[in-house]
Amino acid sequence: MNRFSRIAFLLAAGCLLSAGCGKTPNASYRLNMVEATKQRLTTEQEQQVATVLLAMFGTPDDPVALPEFGLDEAKLRLASGPVRSDIVGRKNGLYREHCAHCHGVTGDGMGPTAAFLNPYPRDYRPGVFKFKSTERADKPTHADLLRILRNGIAGTSMPSFALLSEPQIDALAEYVKYLSIRGETELSLMRAFFELDDDAQGKLPETREFLVDEMAGPIAEKWKSAAAAQIAVPDMPADIDLVASIAKGRELFYGDKANCVKCHGVTGLGDGQANDYDDWNKAIVEINKEIKGGLAKAGETSTSGMSAEDAAEHRKQVAWLGKFSHVVDGDALTPRTIPPRNLRLGVYRGGRRPLDLYYRIHAGINGAPMPAAKGTVPPEDIWHIVNYIRSLPYEFDGELGADRPMVARDRF
Amino acid sequence: MKRAFAGIVVSGVVACIGCGPTRVVAPGADAEAAGKIRATLVSASSAGDSAESATAATGTGWGTLKGRFTFAGSAPQAKALVVDKDTEVCSMGGMKLLDRSLLVDSSTKGLSNVVVFARKTGRVKTAAAEAALVFDQKNCEFLSPVFAARVGQTVEVRNSDPIGHNTNIAGTAFNQLIPAGQGTAYKPDAETGMPTMVTCNIHPWMKAYAVFRKDGYVAVSGADGSFTIPDLPAGETIEFQVWHERSGGPNGAVGLEKPELKWTPKGRFQVKLEPDEVKDLGTLEIPAGVVGG
Repeated sequence: MNRFSRIAFLLAAGCLLSAGCGKTPNASYRLNMVEATKQRLTTEQEQQVATVLLAMFGTPDDPVALPEFGLDEAKLRLASGPVRSDIVGRKNGLYREHCAHCHGVTGDGMGPTAAFLNPYPRDYRPGVFKFKSTERADKPTHADLLRILRNGIAGTSMPSFALLSEPQIDALAEYVKYLSIRGETELSLMRAFFELDDDAQGKLPETREFLVDEMAGPIAEKWKSAAAAQIAVPDMPADIDLVASIAKGRELFYGDKANCVKCHGVTGLGDGQANDYDDWNKAIVEINKEIKGGLAKAGETSTSGMSAEDAAEHRKQVAWLGKFSHVVDGDALTPRTIPPRNLRLGVYRGGRRPLDLYYRIHAGINGAPMPAAKGTVPPEDIWHIVNYIRSLPYEFDGELGADRPMVARDRF
Repeated sequence: MKRAFAGIVVSGVVACIGCGPTRVVAPGADAEAAGKIRATLVSASSAGDSAESATAATGTGWGTLKGRFTFAGSAPQAKALVVDKDTEVCSMGGMKLLDRSLLVDSSTKGLSNVVVFARKTGRVKTAAAEAALVFDQKNCEFLSPVFAARVGQTVEVRNSDPIGHNTNIAGTAFNQLIPAGQGTAYKPDAETGMPTMVTCNIHPWMKAYAVFRKDGYVAVSGADGSFTIPDLPAGETIEFQVWHERSGGPNGAVGLEKPELKWTPKGRFQVKLEPDEVKDLGTLEIPAGVVGG
């Protein structure tokens, strides 16, 4: 080995060794760049949002909350920060140990493993949660979050954390609320720039009245009032004739009143309306459409006949579209359609108790296409549908007539 | 030499691991400024009384604002929508549903479904809306392409079809099953800001927009493009917001070259009315490029 190659080799080896050996930088929250770009925020405006969020919510290693948020800072400390033990040997950093690899440090559902999962992990930032005991417009209760953490979500990658202690699960639920309030406040702040009067000169007021009373306060309030917003479920009649109830539920399933068949399909396999998106994915689909349409239009437009001002405006628009496209590439997952649930598997994401199915039908599923039946379908009918749905995985040829499911191998 | 080359290749490979799609760098927070903001947020005293919050309520009497939007360009041919479900109702007798996103009246050039609303006013003539409104759907089409209501006003969401629909108002958590021939009451509980999309998930081609305002100072342009907002407070400068579904402006804002009305790229203009005045803005021509014609 000559001198030159030895130096080159040492250099290469040195590079190898030094990769990843520095001090790990502190974890940081990532700004919602998709919304920031959608709202055409300037760099100064993006920075103002980051600064205001730091003031209100702290950092992933040192989260803080205002009294108005109704969050317990002791629980947040247990869940946040790097994984470590405190002075009495109690495990800290639970969120990063158990949750962040899928849901992301920011709670944006963009952790390193997110792209490999189907369905994608929940992005907490819009403040929308699917499986809860409250009305569609309301937040889940603390108990709803605890149930999801304990049971996991069947049919998805969300596992059960039942092996954690009660205080640990409790701390994680609190931290999810914190991340959600933070993310939703961020969205409100970014959207507030558009509503500013011209004399504000593109800067949000940094007052208590605006930041707490108008922005974060109303969001936190909805979390605080969730427990009072629980759906009142009338008991299923104790003397219900199950066979008759299932037959009624079946009629409703296929009928024009409940209309389940339109999406869940005549076979109940979830193959009715199969090309719809949930709200998280739909947002990206709409943005992609806007970018594609905008770029196509820009490609057809010639700047030659334009005034200097119009041409400058045109170039600005094209630059914005290019940036937006770049941001969406790095900050959003490829949109996926949401298939309606296959009701023949007996796997129910929000829980398989009859009560859980009642909640899903009564309030619909927030963020998903599933509509609410409340108001137009009376409670006893909802119970009939619940009973029919619960019978679907076990329905066999001839039991309820000719509309039996197709044999899977005949379907293609 | 060979080994050194291998070393470089290996280190190159190692360096490349983790190079997914590059993310646009987001600006960091200013820690010092954040500390100052935090100090004002945790101080118990609600300092800085909101002096500049509401528009000062000055003046008396009420006025009316009128105008007419036209489309500068030839009326485009509306495209037929893809209707692939419940065709016995949704395309009854071979009838085709059309894309209504750019409706131009061929004789008057009037542009329909432009929304104009007051951003905020110092005074409001009627505190709340009394009459209930109907938001109906028939033959798998929302009968109002753009629908305006007041916050707290009762909206009867109706289905006049013999098949079931669901009505999903984006951003409001209202997504309700509406059985054939039935309806359900909905009371908007917050302002929408810009109009929000209304869809039916069962029939994906169905689309409308809804705008909910507290004060009710909102109008949707009619078939000839005209709009009227009555009972506006006189004696104060009111800023109006203009929106159209197809506008390429921020959040659908329609920006026009009208310096005399202080029209901004955010689609806002200013008007001050005298008591009992009926101010007619005349014809407001929207260039084809603005609404993606």
